Amino acid sequence: MPAITVDGLTKSFGGTLALRDLSFEVREGEVFGFLGPNGAGKSTTINVLLDFVRPTAGSAAVLGMDAQAHSREIRSRTGVLPEGYRVYERLTGRQHLEFAIDSKGVDDDPDRLLERVDIADAADRKAGGYSKGMAQRLMLAMALVGEPDLLILDEPSTGLDPNGAREMREIVRAENDRGATVFFSSHSMEQVEAVADRVGILRDGEMVAVDSVAGLRDSLEDGTTLRVTVDRIDDDALNAVRALEDVSNAAVESGDRNEAEPTLVVSVDGSKTAVLGELEDRGIEVRDFSTQEASLEDVFQSYTTGSEVEAR
Amino acid sequence: MSTDSASAGPGSASGVGSVSLDSVRAIAKKDFQDSIRSWLFLFLSAFFLSILVLPTVLLWYLGGDVPTAEATTQGLVGTVHNVTRLVIPVIALVLGWKAIAGERESGSLKVMLSLPHSRTDVLVGKFLGRSAVLSLSLFVGFFFAAFVVALAFGGFDLTDYVGLFAVSVLYGLAYTSIAIALSSLARSTTVAGALAFGVFVLFYVVWETMLVAVDTLVQLDYLPGVEYTVTGPGGESIALERPHDVAFLFHSFDPGVAYRNVLSFVTSIAEQNPQVVRSMENAFGGSVPFYLQDWFSVVVLLFWIVVPLAVAIYRFQRVDL
Repeated sequence: MPAITVDGLTKSFGGTLALRDLSFEVREGEVFGFLGPNGAGKSTTINVLLDFVRPTAGSAAVLGMDAQAHSREIRSRTGVLPEGYRVYERLTGRQHLEFAIDSKGVDDDPDRLLERVDIADAADRKAGGYSKGMAQRLMLAMALVGEPDLLILDEPSTGLDPNGAREMREIVRAENDRGATVFFSSHSMEQVEAVADRVGILRDGEMVAVDSVAGLRDSLEDGTTLRVTVDRIDDDALNAVRALEDVSNAAVESGDRNEAEPTLVVSVDGSKTAVLGELEDRGIEVRDFSTQEASLEDVFQSYTTGSEVEAR
Repeated sequence: MSTDSASAGPGSASGVGSVSLDSVRAIAKKDFQDSIRSWLFLFLSAFFLSILVLPTVLLWYLGGDVPTAEATTQGLVGTVHNVTRLVIPVIALVLGWKAIAGERESGSLKVMLSLPHSRTDVLVGKFLGRSAVLSLSLFVGFFFAAFVVALAFGGFDLTDYVGLFAVSVLYGLAYTSIAIALSSLARSTTVAGALAFGVFVLFYVVWETMLVAVDTLVQLDYLPGVEYTVTGPGGESIALERPHDVAFLFHSFDPGVAYRNVLSFVTSIAEQNPQVVRSMENAFGGSVPFYLQDWFSVVVLLFWIVVPLAVAIYRFQRVDL
């Protein structure tokens, strides 16, 4: 049974489509990194999973239960670190945890949890005086209450310094070793690749890639990124480049193809000259080009920038 | 704090509309801890104490002759309820207007709803939490004022005193329910604040004067009324006109009017003098309709406790947060 099943999920706010026909699965016991730039729809997806917002079309199931019909049951077995939250300013750290423990009907020790996220010394201070990083640690501690089967962490590294982000990853790994499935969102590949088993990349409310980190890495084993500055670009030429045998992806950088000199970012696995040749055959003038070894960050960039990734 | 596995646990029921007592209790407790600033609680208690003690001292000072405990408690209830009728709505609305909208705006609602609570649990828990703040400060004020009253009057009528307290708590619950409902309907605290202020003006200022206004319009023949005749002091028949029953029914739903009527029902303050009662009976052809009788005011107060919260629960389940 998958831990999360999202099926044909569409959500519009007023006239704006936040999610369009989104489908993916998170397997039981894995760490799934949900990657995408800000505004791609990550939080909307999580809000649907937690029944904060209702889908316009499609459905979501968590731990085998419908996200709307069985929300309470889902949340009693899930630990959540929400995004855009605010702590209760007049409650102490310990009172926050007591609230979570009461709410879940378990008998965890608040102090042990606070120690685990390294804010035990602030247990009796009001959370209104916490720094952003401390508040984030407090929320993580609340998410860990009751040894949940599933952790949903929305941008968990927000407000954490590099050391805090490392500790966060260690906790994610430890929870995963315990048997918990972890679903976490991030806008940075760097946070994801260190800890995720699989990665889904979301753009404009659509899943543009789902693969294991190893798979993504394999796909660019000898891959390079070719950056070509041209005098102009059009859809036909872009699609022709994509259709080339050695090209796994191509996009216009920064999304603006009407710029004076647009830059094409192309992931190539073999002949770079084929790309340049294709462009010149179409009468497009190549002004400049450079190559670089591809990193996972580039994969993410190529998926999430550019005006169109998958031609429709 | 620690509940062991023997408790039912909130996971047993599901869905947005279900209510779990464990959840409600956890939320009410959290909300009580969170909303209560110690100075606010002290201030409210001291305030309620003072609005009881000041008239007591005044009555005692002006009393001259040794007043009977019964008469003075009556006088106290009669004086104090004029103040509480105004300040309890204000305090309940101020305590409650941000209860949901504030958490929604700041995002702390997400913290609460990440835990296994239904949205109904949140509304009910919030209602109980805020009600507890108001009721407890009322209790503290009344409790300590009782000593002053007893000292000044040499004893007091317990029924009247407890009656005033109990009815004030009911009245406070009604306005807390209204405040929580408004707060859950608003998307922002700005709107919630405007709604709360609007309700206060509408209920406290406009509503009560409506009957007078309608009556004036009837007397001036701008509105159709109900004609009836009374027998004058000389035995002659006098034709009179009063507003339609609906106007009186509407009037009786004003929480402030209900508060006063329930007080005259449970305490011995005689709000209506017998002459007024007789003329009302005449106006309605012998007997006063049920909605103008004092017991109906209890129903009205209960109505204002249950209905706003019920409407809020219905609506709040259906919105995106």
